[in-house]
Amino acid sequence: MKEKFEPNIIGFLCNWCSYAGADLAGTSRIQYPPNLKAIRVMCSGRVNPIFVINALQQGADGVLIGGCHPGDCHYERGNYLARRRMAVLKKLLEHTGIDPNRVRMTWVSAAEGNKFAEVVKEVTEDIRKLGPMQHFKRENKW
Amino acid sequence: MVDEKELRDVVKKTISRDDVKYVVGYEKGTYGFQATPCFAYKPEDAEKFIFSPLCVHNLTVFPMLEEKPPLRKGEEPDTRKIGVVVKGCDSRAIVQILQEKGLERDKVVIIGIPCSGVIDPKKIEAKFPGHIKKVEVNDEDDKFAVTVDGKTQKIPKDELMPEKCKTCEYPNPVLYDILIGKEIKSKKKEDYKKVNAFEKKSMKEKWDYWEKQFEKCIRCYACRNACPLCYCKECMVDQLNPQWVRRSVNLSENTAWNLLRAFHLAGRCIGCEQCERACPMGIPLMKLNKKIEKEIKEMFEYEAGISAEEKPLLAMFKPDDPEEFIL
Ligand code: SF4
Ligand code: SF4
Ligand code: SF4
Repeated sequence: MKEKFEPNIIGFLCNWCSYAGADLAGTSRIQYPPNLKAIRVMCSGRVNPIFVINALQQGADGVLIGGCHPGDCHYERGNYLARRRMAVLKKLLEHTGIDPNRVRMTWVSAAEGNKFAEVVKEVTEDIRKLGPMQHFKRENKW
Repeated sequence: MVDEKELRDVVKKTISRDDVKYVVGYEKGTYGFQATPCFAYKPEDAEKFIFSPLCVHNLTVFPMLEEKPPLRKGEEPDTRKIGVVVKGCDSRAIVQILQEKGLERDKVVIIGIPCSGVIDPKKIEAKFPGHIKKVEVNDEDDKFAVTVDGKTQKIPKDELMPEKCKTCEYPNPVLYDILIGKEIKSKKKEDYKKVNAFEKKSMKEKWDYWEKQFEKCIRCYACRNACPLCYCKECMVDQLNPQWVRRSVNLSENTAWNLLRAFHLAGRCIGCEQCERACPMGIPLMKLNKKIEKEIKEMFEYEAGISAEEKPLLAMFKPDDPEEFIL
């Protein structure tokens, strides 16, 4: 029997908003797919595209970056800078034939547990449709 | 046509200054079609300087290669300037480096040359295969006069020019201290025809194409070394802790390298095509660079290497930057 494909998604969530939003979703017992593996970063502006590419190499089928809403960034401008970066990265991925929908970005505040669950649901379903990321997976042959 | 005598005089005058360490320009190559970079440390050296459509290199890499060894006790740092001969596109690299504060303005003397197009070494080598001696190329309006073994042929420029020259919007140096000759007028326009055509392909077609290209990469980093904007003290691919990109040569690591290299040049690449020229495996790196260039023009109304006062693209933002992709 063929196993159902369960996407593996890495979430880079900012400490002040999205991570707290995820926390709230948890403490409020809101259900959301377990496919997202959260990595806490201090700011979405900390997310270097090298993290994203590396995640895709190491077996992630998708990446979600979560930051504070515009204007709410704890460091004032980190999320704006991340937004520019990801806009460019997505265009580059698209041009090389890697579906840009594998790299997603969201604004979730610390009070939006519901929104967080919705976003994870949506992203998981989208990536489920795209199927496993096999373009340039790293082979660990030692 | 550039007056080479004027160029030599300017180089001579520049190197005679006490505050100039050396001037880098072009001299005749020892074989085949390529001119090579050359250096003037004393006024006599200026005699070998030339400028012709064979001068393809972007020499602005040289000021970035200056080593700054630790000083011995009582030793003064060498604060002398470096003179660089630049074409239109090359000068944009200096502007971009100044914008990033990679170099101070008073550390370079820019000798600008208005340029009406150079020759793509790969294209001319394909036309005259195996040819190694006595080649001369002159610029004649819309043709190159190529003299091989005493025989002159006139070849339309479009057949020999690299892509960048066909759509060059800045034939005149955007920044210079001394200009050789007169500014030229050009109505050429970058229309991103090739990028647009490639965009029409399906995801699968695109990846099939790039998979083949990235598989070829031997990770020699010639593209990085030839690029005037790749001057990081330690490149991310050389980093060992953490090691983001492994050194193994395979599709996965090659793809990571090529994507990240292109990304690192986003908003910085000035389109001098040195990376693609240097690549021994013929990987069309400009296809990635041009795509990014086009997108940032559309999304952020930004063009690299035009103004040294502007802030670097990815170090600034506008509150209303595009964000339709955000959930
Ligand atoms: S990436 Fe290529 S075209 Fe762009 S500045 Fe560097 S060498 Fe020139
Ligand atoms: S590829 Fe990136 S890290 Fe490496 S030299 Fe170029 S800009 Fe620097
Ligand atoms: S020059 Fe070509 S082969 Fe060498 S590292 Fe760059 S892309 Fe790869």
